[in-house]
Amino acid sequence: MKKLFLYLFLIISSASFAQDKAEIKEFFWGKSDKYKTATTIPEKWKNESAVIIYKYEYYNYHKFGASVTYTSAIRKRIKLQDQAAVTEFSEFSYKDKFYSNKGMRSLGRGTNVVGIKIVKSTGKEIDVDIEKNAKEVDKEKKIAIANLEIGDIIDFYYYSVEPFKSIYEFGFEPEESPLGDVYPTMDMKLAFDTENDFFVNFNTYNGAPELIEIPTKNSGERKYELNAKDIEKNEFPRWFLPLAELPCYKFQVFFARSGKFEKRADAFLSNSEKVIKKTVSKEDIFNYYDEKFRPDGSLSVINDFLKGKTFASDEEKIREVYYYTRHMFFTQFIEAFIISDATKFYALSVYSNPIFFRTEESFVNYFMEFLKKNNYDYDIIIATPKYNGSIDDLLIQKNVNVLLRVNTKTPMYLEYFSPYTSADQFNYNLENSKAYALQVAKGKKVVDAVNVNLPGSTMQDNVSKINSLVSISDDFSGLKVKKESSYFGHLKENEQSDKFYYFDYAFEDYAKYGTKSVIEYVKNKKDKERYGKEIDAVVNKLKEQQKEAFKKATAEEYDFEIDDHKFTIKSTGRFGKKSPLIYEEDFAIKNNLIKKAGENYLIEIGKLITSQVEIDKKEKERKNNVYMVYPRSFENEITLDIPAGYTVAGLDKLNKKVENETGGFVSSATVSGNKLTIKAVKYYKNYYEPNSNWNKMIQFLDAAYQFTQEKVLLKKN
Amino acid sequence: MKITTRFALLSLIIPTMVVAQKNIDPTPEDVVLAKKIRTTYDKDDVAILESTENVTFDLNKTESKVIVNHSINEKLMNINHRAAIQKYEFYDSESKIETFNLKYRNDKSVGSYVVDEFYKDNDLFYNDARVKHMVVNFPVQGYIYNYELEKKYEDVKYFTSLYFNDEFPVLKKQIVVTVPEWLNAELKEFNFDGAKITKSQTKDSKNNTIYTYTINDVPALYKEEESPGRSYLYPHILVIAKSYKIKGKDVALFGSTADLYKWYKSLVDLMKDDTSVLKSKVTELTASAKTDEEKIKNIYYWVQDNIRYIAFEDGIAGFKPDESNHVFEKRYGDCKGMANLIKQMLKLAGFDARLTWIGTKHIAYDYKTPSLAVDNHMICTLFHKGKKYFLDGTEKFNSFGEYAERIQNKEVMIEDGDKFIIDKVPTASHESNKEIFKANLSIENEKLQGTCSKSYLGESRAQFLYIYSTFKNDKKNETLDNYLSKSEKNTLVTNIKTSDLKNRDAKLTIDYNVNVANKVSSFDNEMYVDLEYMNEFKGFELKDRKTDYQFDFKKNYESTVSLAIPAGYSVTKIPTDLVVKEGNFDIALTFQKTDKEIIYKKSFIFKNGEIKASEMTKWNDFIKNLIANYNQQITFTKQ
Repeated sequence: MKKLFLYLFLIISSASFAQDKAEIKEFFWGKSDKYKTATTIPEKWKNESAVIIYKYEYYNYHKFGASVTYTSAIRKRIKLQDQAAVTEFSEFSYKDKFYSNKGMRSLGRGTNVVGIKIVKSTGKEIDVDIEKNAKEVDKEKKIAIANLEIGDIIDFYYYSVEPFKSIYEFGFEPEESPLGDVYPTMDMKLAFDTENDFFVNFNTYNGAPELIEIPTKNSGERKYELNAKDIEKNEFPRWFLPLAELPCYKFQVFFARSGKFEKRADAFLSNSEKVIKKTVSKEDIFNYYDEKFRPDGSLSVINDFLKGKTFASDEEKIREVYYYTRHMFFTQFIEAFIISDATKFYALSVYSNPIFFRTEESFVNYFMEFLKKNNYDYDIIIATPKYNGSIDDLLIQKNVNVLLRVNTKTPMYLEYFSPYTSADQFNYNLENSKAYALQVAKGKKVVDAVNVNLPGSTMQDNVSKINSLVSISDDFSGLKVKKESSYFGHLKENEQSDKFYYFDYAFEDYAKYGTKSVIEYVKNKKDKERYGKEIDAVVNKLKEQQKEAFKKATAEEYDFEIDDHKFTIKSTGRFGKKSPLIYEEDFAIKNNLIKKAGENYLIEIGKLITSQVEIDKKEKERKNNVYMVYPRSFENEITLDIPAGYTVAGLDKLNKKVENETGGFVSSATVSGNKLTIKAVKYYKNYYEPNSNWNKMIQFLDAAYQFTQEKVLLKKN
Repeated sequence: MKITTRFALLSLIIPTMVVAQKNIDPTPEDVVLAKKIRTTYDKDDVAILESTENVTFDLNKTESKVIVNHSINEKLMNINHRAAIQKYEFYDSESKIETFNLKYRNDKSVGSYVVDEFYKDNDLFYNDARVKHMVVNFPVQGYIYNYELEKKYEDVKYFTSLYFNDEFPVLKKQIVVTVPEWLNAELKEFNFDGAKITKSQTKDSKNNTIYTYTINDVPALYKEEESPGRSYLYPHILVIAKSYKIKGKDVALFGSTADLYKWYKSLVDLMKDDTSVLKSKVTELTASAKTDEEKIKNIYYWVQDNIRYIAFEDGIAGFKPDESNHVFEKRYGDCKGMANLIKQMLKLAGFDARLTWIGTKHIAYDYKTPSLAVDNHMICTLFHKGKKYFLDGTEKFNSFGEYAERIQNKEVMIEDGDKFIIDKVPTASHESNKEIFKANLSIENEKLQGTCSKSYLGESRAQFLYIYSTFKNDKKNETLDNYLSKSEKNTLVTNIKTSDLKNRDAKLTIDYNVNVANKVSSFDNEMYVDLEYMNEFKGFELKDRKTDYQFDFKKNYESTVSLAIPAGYSVTKIPTDLVVKEGNFDIALTFQKTDKEIIYKKSFIFKNGEIKASEMTKWNDFIKNLIANYNQQITFTKQ
């Protein structure tokens, strides 16, 4: 009987699955499919690799109590116009069953259903029998598409049903995307079906069509659609932020069964799920954040640190506390994390009560406590990185970054830690952007939200200074370079995170703040010896990697090979924008940059300022505005020893001067005794330029490039 | 190691009591030994101190198959600071792994997490090969693990070779093959010359013959690209099980090439081709063809252009071709499926075409050895007007009558009913792949400008056409432009005219105008010209190379650049010539001055399509001279 029951159950469930599949097929390719016979593409796209005739993205959010069924689907109907496109679509792979990673626990397994058909140029349709043709490889199904040729249309859908249970509120991953695709698109539709308890934030930007509501019969259900036509393919040039400029949409859906969960949700929710939330107002910000942060944590370590110390100003005190906090709750434990991960020694166990700030929120709460207890006036800054667009277009809570602004004489902006964050500069993606300041009364309660403009850094803040001493080998086969590089401001950050390993800063902090490295905590003599060896092995291995990576990075800057590379980090530059990161390098350039001309030599000295941006024919036609990181300047001084018996000619070409409102390149060359000294500075005045200024930028970028092509002549006396 | 990724892993770390294992840490002697070994093998992190492989045979009487038991025991040592490696072993439907285990030096099992999954290969859409793998972490120098593997092959024909080299250097290697009395097996040795392998042969009490091979200090497998196949590079043994005896009767296995063919033929005979579905296509392709050659080309090219290479190597499908009608309808197949489709289409068109087995250039063997290791590819042989033509459906833009380097000079086994024909694919000379570059330049406003032309033949043409065909339509012009200008901002290419970039028979030509900046420098009365802007082979130093370098095909490249002497100037210095003639490379750079111009000729010929390992020092010396030569300038002086 039991067997029979199981058997029946299997039949029923597989039958209903088959029915589902038929329904899904009908949903995309059924009677109501307006694109069933669409096969022609516009003349202007005849030379494209492929053209999307129709793209349909579909989302359905359905619930029963705490049980949620999330459906997401996509269909694309694509005309394939070359071999590259045929190859691209000649194989598909998917998982037909999967476990949900959402909510509390899975309600059985999610299913994916795939449909593929080919429309031949004769109009004949071939429905690909997925079941029959798919091969299973480690739970993934792979299918090779038969009979696919240039000129065919491939029409496919992917339909995913994911059931899960969420007792509490649940936020689906936000979607933020330009309307465009890899290929140009003739028609696209994005549709949602939702019902009560699902809160939708949705808006379109930069000229994309609006989302429209489609009337439904049932008052608990809602339908929305975004329809767009005639969309060029995505092409992202250099220095570009797609969401800031291209027609795009953003959305996020939140499941919240009651007011209690609505309140807890990490989202700016609409007052009613019946209304799509399109914008986030100052009031929304206030309402969301008024109780989000609260001063919290024990200040005893800070008080100990401050004991007996005096500071020249409030700013100095706050800065020092920031760096101390950065160590005590962050860099102090990084060695332990890395050791634990790399060896079998769980190094975090050496600390009796380690408090590590994993989140922005824990940093904000703790530092608020410090500011409050020390009677500093401060605000909480709510900002969004520029790549998300303006804060006026804020829609998704995850796009928010939080800073603390201490209202000292010169306001200080403090952000959550990395090993390299500074107390006098903050994330450059937030610079010069509009933001909200949550005003905090008496260090306790948020009383208001006001608009503010965040300050920006300047090209004087973000500087690199490179001094290179260059000598020519006796046989003129190569050059020897001794180079010192100093980086200030934001220019440090990439250098630090690319080149530093934990030992480059952890030990600096242990020494500065009197804390101990992991091994110093280990008491047992045998363990100490054993773990000590393992840690040494980790460090030695990482140092080998660092040596390789450093050399590679330098070679890439020049765009040619270097040899015999050595480096020394002289200063880590981890304590403020004015404390530079300094490192020294020694290396050789072999069989390069020296050209023989009879008894004279041409030296390609311009290449020693490292390779410069090359603006090619296509880039000159740029139509987009220019979105860069921050204003910055690059100073180079190159001193070449002139070999005995030679004089230098051709200095005139090394004197360049192009300066305009966007930036500049200025260089000069002088000879004094047997030294040729070249000074070159390139600078970008702004982080952003309108497209109308692009030609002005090209002027100085081209001047810098041209400089790299200039040579001097070493003339035999 | 970036902090961000490290933190992502943190959540996975579950605090556990660290149970100190006794006697697993390296002894001081181990550390000394590790350091010593590292001085010899300074590029390797891990060395195998000892490795023993044992091979024995059993008979499966019910299925009449000879079973192979293959075991490996290794002692691995970390010779660098620390190391993390993967140990992995493949198996498939014809073999199984019975033990795959790692132990500490005290012989306690490590209990490693073993992943058992399909082996994924970009060239194979689906295959039945699987892999078991585990991560082996060595925390400190001198750390030792013992590794053991037991693998079983259900059919001896799939057990082909035994190698001495490993991914890591091996200090002491022993291979022991025990051949029972009832089995007639040959252990064929390859590349033993120069390798210090000692060999012994004894009999045990059961009259088994025990072959023992020992070798010390075997370096790791070379990690170099464009190398010859491993069967050329390393000493190894091919195990050829010829027959076995049961109840006094001999049962043939692969005793001769005829046995190998017989088995292949038995698989071909399993096919049930329904060629009726090909008929209309064959008619369409041949209807308007005026000659036989045109008919053949139309069919052969149609298959090259329309059948995608998608391989299913699933059990017997690795050896049995797919039916032509299936390949035709699916528009995809592997080499065997394509060869069979060409055969059937040509037969429908009235030609004599046959399936043909071949080992590509990658494989060192020929059909004198009856083994599955001998071949790895299938093509189609056309018998036409007393000649044989070899048609390879997996080639792209291959002109009829031309052969890809990878099959040239290789033996083929052509089907001939119950018999077979052994022949060889003809060899072509480097001349047939000739690539020519010509430029006529003059100096205008300190820039080099003029006209250029390029032409390609043979494999240089096929390669160009294929790569070009893979670019997206909307990127084709841009990519061609970048190719001709070498993506250099200094080089402006305009007015490009090409021959038909789908025609694989005619000479491929590209003509264009060029304008090159920053190659002319004037100082006082002198003008220096850098005529070297193509920089052929400039970065082609083969540092520390241990193996032959193999080009895709035999190269013959010729460049002629003429530069008009600017009015009012005379030539005061031209670069020196550079001429090198070695066994495998023949290169000449010459400068010639006439009244009006300087003619700069370069010729690079790699007549065998390779540079031998023994020639590497000479090659690298040449590259240094080449760079020095490229760094020379032409000097003009104002008259």
